[in-house]
Parts: sequence; structure tokens; C-alpha cells
Amino acid sequence: MERIVQILLITAAVLMIIQGFLHRRKHEKDHSHSSFGHKHDGSVFSIDFYAYASRLRTWSPKYKAVFSMVCLLCCIICDNIYVSCAVILLMAYITVVMGGLPFRRYLSLMTIPLVFLFFGCVAIAIGFSGSPSGDFNLHLGFFYVYTSKESLWETLELITKALGAVSSMYMLTLSTPASEIIAVLRGIHMPKLLVELMNMIYRYIFLLMDTQCRMKNAAVSRLGYCDFKTSCVSFGQIASNLLVVSLKKGNAYYHALEARCYDGELRFLEEEKTVSAMQTAGALLSVSLLLCIWRLTV
Amino acid sequence: MAVNRLIEKMEQEVILQVRDLQYAYSDEKMALKGVDLDIRQGERIAVMGSNGAGKSTFFLNINGVLQSEHGEIFYRGQKMTKKTMNDLRKNVGIVFQDADSQIIASTVQSEVSFGPMNLKLSRNDVRDRVDEALSYMNLTDFRHRPPHYLSGGEKKRVSIADIIAMHPEIIIFDEPTAALDPVNADMLEEVLEKMAQEGKTIMISTHDVDFAYRWAERVVVFCDGKIIADDAPLAVFSNETVIRQANLKRPMMLDIFETMREKGLVKDDRSYPKNVEEFKYCI
Repeated sequence: MERIVQILLITAAVLMIIQGFLHRRKHEKDHSHSSFGHKHDGSVFSIDFYAYASRLRTWSPKYKAVFSMVCLLCCIICDNIYVSCAVILLMAYITVVMGGLPFRRYLSLMTIPLVFLFFGCVAIAIGFSGSPSGDFNLHLGFFYVYTSKESLWETLELITKALGAVSSMYMLTLSTPASEIIAVLRGIHMPKLLVELMNMIYRYIFLLMDTQCRMKNAAVSRLGYCDFKTSCVSFGQIASNLLVVSLKKGNAYYHALEARCYDGELRFLEEEKTVSAMQTAGALLSVSLLLCIWRLTV
Repeated sequence: MAVNRLIEKMEQEVILQVRDLQYAYSDEKMALKGVDLDIRQGERIAVMGSNGAGKSTFFLNINGVLQSEHGEIFYRGQKMTKKTMNDLRKNVGIVFQDADSQIIASTVQSEVSFGPMNLKLSRNDVRDRVDEALSYMNLTDFRHRPPHYLSGGEKKRVSIADIIAMHPEIIIFDEPTAALDPVNADMLEEVLEKMAQEGKTIMISTHDVDFAYRWAERVVVFCDGKIIADDAPLAVFSNETVIRQANLKRPMMLDIFETMREKGLVKDDRSYPKNVEEFKYCI
């Protein structure tokens, strides 16, 4: 039974990579992401940018949040390597093929948690001892570094489980703009204070980055970054200036808010996106598939 | 004809009356030192004056954001107090100079909905107003964009749509053309023209004397916290003392026209052209 599931998963992975690749080729011809004015560098900006460019943006954010949470819980509760692999593949399929995110971008975003996972898991996989033990060991002068087949398998299970959970969250963040995620949080009655703070912080991150960028350019153009010592001084000055500017801007914002009848609560019109029957069916099918895999391999 | 129009306007209903308004940010320096002003229905007012003359402070006061200890503001004959300040905010809208310090939401649609939501309208009304304001400013395609992926001109349009959606009686623009390229500045002027046609009352603070001369029906000049001139553009710009005191310049059209008239190149029939079209007609 296990063999069959293994083969199925591998086939799915291969098929998905091929399809993703074909999709990308097709897309390069009719390049469709030119609708945004400009693009920022850096990963925070790019995640935000991909969320806006994703084809899944028209889906209801609530649906996406619930679906990704269910998949995440499946990963953790089933605690089964095949389920985890299936979740990783499923999420990659949804994000890359259905959402239209370039496959290479997805991989490069995935490397961020992978690096952390790898270093975290090394500690679990290996052990130190004074005498040779385990299935594999390495003699390093006074002590042995050893590991066993079981602990390697355990580590692999842990990595896939964590990666499955992370890719579920990635599916949500790479297809849903922050403002919609915040709206979902408001919908589940998260404290108002937190929700409003999130809204404002999200907006101001970009303003702060923009201001900092302009200050830095102005400093660079006046040789403020010509050597290490000057760079340090300029950096400090920009940081302190940023604080002063933020305080001033905060005041201007408050005036602008008050001018539009702000009374202590931020209220916005939120889009109601409906969930289609197809989407519901798709979610049910995926979850039952995961449960089937679990039943078959336990 | 201009005089007739002015008289016609004089008879219009006064929306806002400001009496002896004084305001100080801190104890030492007064930003406004006793301002009196009547704003009538459908007027186009240009507010001029050097930086720090008190224009922005005045706007924040008549919008109710800043509240003065001294002086009175009447909205349609009713004296405004702390309790009725929200009436003032509903009916006087300010488009701030820096669009980035006005925009708070993370999509264009929710940004424009912020004002109407605060007016406690029903969901459908808010939606209608947002749709209307977006199409007014040609922003319908930008509806779901976040503000950080918009250009400067687009952000300015969003900040104007913000105010239009609230349906205020008086719309104030604080130096609207300051950060705009010529194409966007033209777009703005078209919008202003459209609003004026619809009978909206508009107040603009600007340093552009040529713009004020061709657009405004009334020019109010601030200097050191006081109003030193309040008249038709021609009268204000012909007054040398006012121009010198407020650090203004004479509009180019006025200079050219007067020079040509001195040389006998145009008819001297006491009508002054306001823009290039009217000028062509004079020659």
C-alpha cells in the first residue's frame, strides 16, 4: 500500500513540475504582469507584489484562509510523511499553476524556511557520544558524531511536516493581499486595536521604506556612503531623521483623518467575494484525498 | 460682465462665515491674527500668500480639525461649537497637499470609502458614492490597487476622490499642483472646471499667480496671519502694495496685455483677457 502512495506522489510531483514549466513558457509569450507601475526589490515587497498579481486574488479571502488552515492542521494532526508531501505538492500546484506565480520565484521564496528548517533539524538528526553508536558514525578525535536510520527518517518526517505547514501559509500569503487577510482577522473578531494597528503598520511600512530610500539617495549623492566610517555616521543620521519625520508625519496623518470625520475607529468598505461551488468541491476533494492518503498509510 | 457675475455671486447664500478667527500653535507665535471671511455658494476662491502666512492653519480651522479659543465660525448661519464640529467636517472637505499623508487604507476602494463610512451611511450608499467618486476621477480600473503601486498623479486623484465621495459643500485644495507634472496639472484643472460647472464651492491655495488669475473669481491674500486683500483677481494683482507685501508676482498675461495696450497694439475697452483664448480674441 505504501509503495502505491509513494509512486503516486512522485508522479504527481513530476507532472506538476512539467505543467508549471509549460504554463510559464506560455505566459512568457503573453506577458501579463505589466499592469503595475513599479516594482520594489526585497522579499517583503515581492511577496506583497505577487499577492496582488496572483490569479487567485478573485477568490474569497475567507475561503483561502479556511482552506489553508485546514491543510495546515491536516499536516500537523496526521503527522504522516505522505500527507505532508501531498500538502506540499498541492499547495505548490495551487500557488504556481493556478495562481500563476513563476516557479523559480516560488522555489526561491521556499528556500527561506528551508534554510531554517535544515539547521534546526541537524540538531535532531545527529548526536554526540564517546563511543561508536547508531547506524552511521563519524570519528572526530575525542568524540563520535552519530546518527541512525530511525532518527534520519524522523527528521525527514519533521521537515516535510513543517514544510507542508509553511507552504499552506505561503498559499494564503502569496494569493491574498495583506488588507484582505486583515479583513478576515476582523471577521473572526480579533481585537479592534490589533486589526487597526495592522492596517496602519502595513500602509506605513511602504511610506517609511520610501522615505528612507529617498534620504539614503540624498546621502549617497553627497558622498555620505564613501567609506565605512562615513556610512555609519550617515546611517545613524538617517535613522534619527526618520524618527523625527515619522513624528511629524504622524501629526499630518491625524489631521487628515480628523478632516474626514475620524472618530477613533477605522472603517473601510470591504469587498464581499463569493465562493463558487467548484471551489467548495475542490477544497472537499483535496481534504478527502489527504485523509485517504492518511488512512492508506497508517 | 465680470462685475455682473461678481454681484450675482454676492447675492448667493453665504455658506461659511468666519469672524475674528485667531489661532496659536504655541503661546509665543500667533498663526492666525484675526481673520474675517465669507464664503458664498458656488464661488471659486484662490488663496494666496507666502509660506507660513497661515493658509493651511486657516483651512484646518474652518474644517474643524483645529479648534480656536478665539473667534467664531458660522455654517449656514449656525454658530459652530465643539459639539457641532462634525457638521463642519462633513461639509468642508480638504484635499491635502501631500497625498501620501492623506491616504491610509491599503486599496484605492477602501481608501475612498473611509469618509463615507465615517458619515455612517448604509453599505449600499457607501458603495454608490465610492463608485461615483472613482468614475469622476477616472479611477475605476484602479479600484483594487494598493496605494504604494500608484504614481504621484494617480495618488493625487485618489486623494481628490476621497473628498468627492463625502459630498462636501466646500472643497478646499491645499496647493494641489505642487507635485504634479504638466499633464496631471491640466487634468486637475479640468476636474476643477467640471466641479465649478456643477456649482461646487471651491477654495484653492496656490503659489501659481497665472493659475489664480485665469481660474479664480476671487483672490484672498494671506500675509502674516491676516487677510490683506480680498477682491477680484484683477483688482488684487493690480495692487502694487499687496503684491509686494505678500511676496507675489504679477500674472504674465496681465503684464503682456498692459504692455500691448500701452503700445496701442490692442483695443482699450477695459476688458482684460484671462487666458490665451481670450487674449487671441482681443488682438
